[in-house]
Amino acid sequence: MTALLLEAPPALEEILVANVARPEILRRAIPSAERFERIVEDYERRLFGFALRMTGNREDAEEIVQDAFVRAYRALAKMPAEHRAELKLQPWLYTITLNVTRNRLRSKKPTNVALDALADPDALLHQNNLPSETPEQVVERSADMALVERALLDLPVHLRAAATLRFIEGRSHPEIAEILQQPIGTVKSHVHRAVRILRRVLGPQVGRLVHEGDAAHALP
Amino acid sequence: MRCREVVACWDDMRSGAEPRREDVLVHLRACTDCQAAYAEFEGVAYCLSCLPVAPPPQSLVPRIMAHIREQCEQVHVHRTVFVTVLEAPIGRLFVGYRDAGIVYLRVDRGEEMHDVSAALEHRLHTSALPAHGEPPAWVREAIALFFSGEQTADAVIDLSDLTDFEREVFGAAARIPRGEVRSYGWLAREVGRPNAARAVGQALANNPIPLLIPCHRVIDCKGRLHRYVYGVELKRRLLELEGYRQEETPADVRTS
Repeated sequence: MTALLLEAPPALEEILVANVARPEILRRAIPSAERFERIVEDYERRLFGFALRMTGNREDAEEIVQDAFVRAYRALAKMPAEHRAELKLQPWLYTITLNVTRNRLRSKKPTNVALDALADPDALLHQNNLPSETPEQVVERSADMALVERALLDLPVHLRAAATLRFIEGRSHPEIAEILQQPIGTVKSHVHRAVRILRRVLGPQVGRLVHEGDAAHALP
Repeated sequence: MRCREVVACWDDMRSGAEPRREDVLVHLRACTDCQAAYAEFEGVAYCLSCLPVAPPPQSLVPRIMAHIREQCEQVHVHRTVFVTVLEAPIGRLFVGYRDAGIVYLRVDRGEEMHDVSAALEHRLHTSALPAHGEPPAWVREAIALFFSGEQTADAVIDLSDLTDFEREVFGAAARIPRGEVRSYGWLAREVGRPNAARAVGQALANNPIPLLIPCHRVIDCKGRLHRYVYGVELKRRLLELEGYRQEETPADVRTS
């Protein structure tokens, strides 16, 4: 993916050819909007999901993702070529998204997300429902999910970010350390603290959801 | 094996990031506390992984790209800085310009073109390329006018890569008439930050367009030349060229 950024955008090619004797200077070229569009396509869903879990609000998440990509584009345009060549795109995009989210959460008073509604009520229907589920069970599961979502949103931002990246985004500890710019040990401890709090808040829901999902991934 | 060590590695083992370790498994089978804690961990992780996320109703790509094009389109062509070399009475000058105006100037001290464009990119966070062929007439003219004693017009200077503070400081510095000097404190008052003389000095020290933004006309409050990016000697020469005699104290010091 990073290689994309190193090629000269079509809009610049003429100028470059006219002005540059040494082809290696092509590496200096700013990523064109056309090439950047592919990055947006590749990452918009992922970053949207992350922003949605962090804010609990679809509108906020959409605006955060939009803002994050605009910032990313500007930063890429200003970035020296040697930095751009070494850039790890995915963690970097997560970091930007998280920063935008933090700014937004800071400037916004904590909203009371309705307790009886998931940020994504329809999504549950699209999820692979368990075959044996009765409509009542679906309703109950939906209510449980809403509580899980609420509990996640009630975590302090740094714990919420760690838990979201680990369990929802499925990032590894080293990746999260890079995104959050923290040591791996700190990341692990934040993940564990988040789990402990969630478990305390969600005792019965966890039991029910795990039972229904038959999540027998136990190690031993 | 201690419980703490087990807790620290089970998440990586469970996700396959680390290989299964027999000693950890043995401990887990034996220690009921760890078993309970692991079950909790597993349960919460499972619940979180079940949280549904429907993708955005329609793709955000067109909206995002429209936004980017609108805001940043000009970055590509119009923001690129071209660097050319011009002869001047004080030696060779590297001049960086784009359509909007001159953005960078450097007295040649034996550097290579690519050093200069790298320094320019570093200073202004924009991309720079060596200019091909003759520079535009307005660039030559701007430099020639400076050395023939004209005040540089705002229109030939482009400060858009700089911070608001820098823009204000350089804007005020550009208003110092030829043949006169002002103090750092005067400049600070001019930009409405009377206590920021040092910050003004700092901004001037990083002046990307020396000469055209006449930071050499700014001296310290006791009338000493203080410093200059190319050495105090050149500062003195420039001021003499402009008709300033060093015995004079800065105008604002004299009046106060």
